[in-house]
Amino acid sequence: MGRRHKRLKTASELQRLMQWHYASLRLPRLGRPLAWVTSGAPVEILRAMGVAVAYPENYGAICGAQHQATALCQQAEAEGYSPDLCSYARTSLGAIFQPHAAPMGGLPKPDLLLACNNICSTVVKWYEAAADSLHVPLFVLDTPFIHRELTPQMSAYVLTQLDELVEFVERSCGRRLSAERLRRVARQANETVRLWGEIRAMCRARPSPLNAPDLFVNMAPIVVLRGTGGAVRFYRHLHSEVAERVRDGVGAVSEEKYRLLWDNIAIWPQLYRFYNYFVNYGACFVADTYTGAWSMEIPQGDIMKGLAETYASVYLNQSLEYRARRMIDLIKEYDVQGFVMHSNRSCKPYSLGQYAIRRMVTQETGIPGLVVESDMCDERAFALEPIRTRIQAFVETLESMGGSHTTQPVVEGTGVR
Amino acid sequence: MAAQAYLGIDIGSLTVKVVALDEQAHILGRGLAEAGYGGQEAAEFLVNKVLQESSVLPGAVACTVVTGYGRVRFAAADREVSEISCHARGAMHLNQATRTVIDIGGQDSKAIRLDESGRVVDFAMNDKCAAGTGRFLEVMAGALGVSVGQLGALALTSSTPVTISSTCTVFAESEAVSHISRGATRQDVARGLLQAICSRVLGLTARVGMLPAVVLTGGVALNEGIVAELSRQSATVVWVPPDPQTVGALGAALYALQYGKTK
Ligand code: SF4
Repeated sequence: MGRRHKRLKTASELQRLMQWHYASLRLPRLGRPLAWVTSGAPVEILRAMGVAVAYPENYGAICGAQHQATALCQQAEAEGYSPDLCSYARTSLGAIFQPHAAPMGGLPKPDLLLACNNICSTVVKWYEAAADSLHVPLFVLDTPFIHRELTPQMSAYVLTQLDELVEFVERSCGRRLSAERLRRVARQANETVRLWGEIRAMCRARPSPLNAPDLFVNMAPIVVLRGTGGAVRFYRHLHSEVAERVRDGVGAVSEEKYRLLWDNIAIWPQLYRFYNYFVNYGACFVADTYTGAWSMEIPQGDIMKGLAETYASVYLNQSLEYRARRMIDLIKEYDVQGFVMHSNRSCKPYSLGQYAIRRMVTQETGIPGLVVESDMCDERAFALEPIRTRIQAFVETLESMGGSHTTQPVVEGTGVR
Repeated sequence: MAAQAYLGIDIGSLTVKVVALDEQAHILGRGLAEAGYGGQEAAEFLVNKVLQESSVLPGAVACTVVTGYGRVRFAAADREVSEISCHARGAMHLNQATRTVIDIGGQDSKAIRLDESGRVVDFAMNDKCAAGTGRFLEVMAGALGVSVGQLGALALTSSTPVTISSTCTVFAESEAVSHISRGATRQDVARGLLQAICSRVLGLTARVGMLPAVVLTGGVALNEGIVAELSRQSATVVWVPPDPQTVGALGAALYALQYGKTK
């Protein structure tokens, strides 16, 4: 068997872009303050105020992929943090406590912190702990959970806080918001989001030009560099390479037999190894719920209001029904035959409720779903043999279903109706 | 003997099982042995023993399928198939009405749901935890100073079981010990423990949706206390096939028959 992962030509460009990003945080910033922000924070406002940003979650993913996260988690545990805490939080805190033991010496010290609880409540406590250790001010942006729909009251509540955020940045580092710059950043953010959305959509092709590891690796700029020219340029290049693969009929997996959907964050330390177990059976992940979480365009018109609505409605801030619906849509759009849910020990908001979602999705689409227990960074939660067994049994199930896409529910009683 | 044989081997964490079938899927022989270290040697030894006992020449084996945790390293097989598919196949062969298979093995338990044609439509396995497995029973029998078999018999005589609230094997053991030291009878503690393991297993089964007929396989199925408790808690008849430990190996042998014929 040849190389199971087909490297993209843009891979080295991506690597350079990310290296430049991390290096630039260490260069003299000529008075530009540095903020650490959560992945769901309205970064456009900070960029428009000339604040440089770093993402501890992305840093955690890098540590995970480099097999460095578990040791940092243990550092945090030694300081009394629970092993049940999210491994991004533990990795980040571990790197704060022991920077010399952390990749790149940890993230450079920030001037301010911004945590938005649209992804989880963990980030609030995590950033409070970081603010405490680093002696820097913290702004918490509170976005109410959307049980049914975003109400005008909810948007108004978030919008008020965005104004307070601007005041907070003005007060703590003396930067002012330029309306002109905000418009430009929002335009670039939307351009990135549009390109990324189109790239993902090209995976509807048979064979799919990308597999899960490609999606996970290439999502970094949409998170970390959203709203920058660098990200727009990179995604233009990736876009044309992926379009080329589609045109030439080049698939990410040599002989694509099964098209699958992935749910939850990647298993970073096992990125290629884990997905290769599927590749061995000709199974390709053509879509996922994770890398699509950053594909929301800021609506036209009043940008601040648009930001309030966009960030309040992120994927993890919505009901299980919404998430099941999204998965069902993806299954139909991408012609998927099975789905795999990573029950991620770290990420409670993403993982709790997966069994309920799985039931809803199977009931409506008739396709089987596999739940795999692991963790995005903490390698102590990855048990190879049980995972291999589940994958094999799952593929056997797909095979016995004839490998064909069926829209008829094949299940007569999937528990609750 | 010109007839050909089809072999199914199940290499589990505690035991290895072998079933040999003829072309009509009749059982020529079967056997069970302790796995020892890794199970490979034990499996080879058992295969020879079963073949000898059923007077099948090694050259007459047309196809071999291996399953179980040791399957990956067993080189002498034509194919490896997961335990899920093998248990489903074996149970369906023994009882055409099977819609749910519950297998409680040494280190894992699984629930499998089938459709009318025997196809696996869903399955769930316990995750990285010994609660709800044969290992749990062993630890608890040890704590009560009885054998695993006696544990089930004891439980059947209790009408006032204690409550074991922890699902963790280690914590449940200390809970049991503290019940004993507070004067609870062995019977009541035994029943409390079986109730705990059964609720865990039924929780797993609920994930796939429990439909009759329910077939219980694996070594734990020999424990009458467990069978009674599972039936009571689920209000469903739980059927135990004769020789429940070899159902996975039987399924593997049926796959061998299928592959051997289409080879
Ligand atoms: S708990 Fe989940 S959403 Fe929250 S920081 Fe960790 S991985 Fe992200």
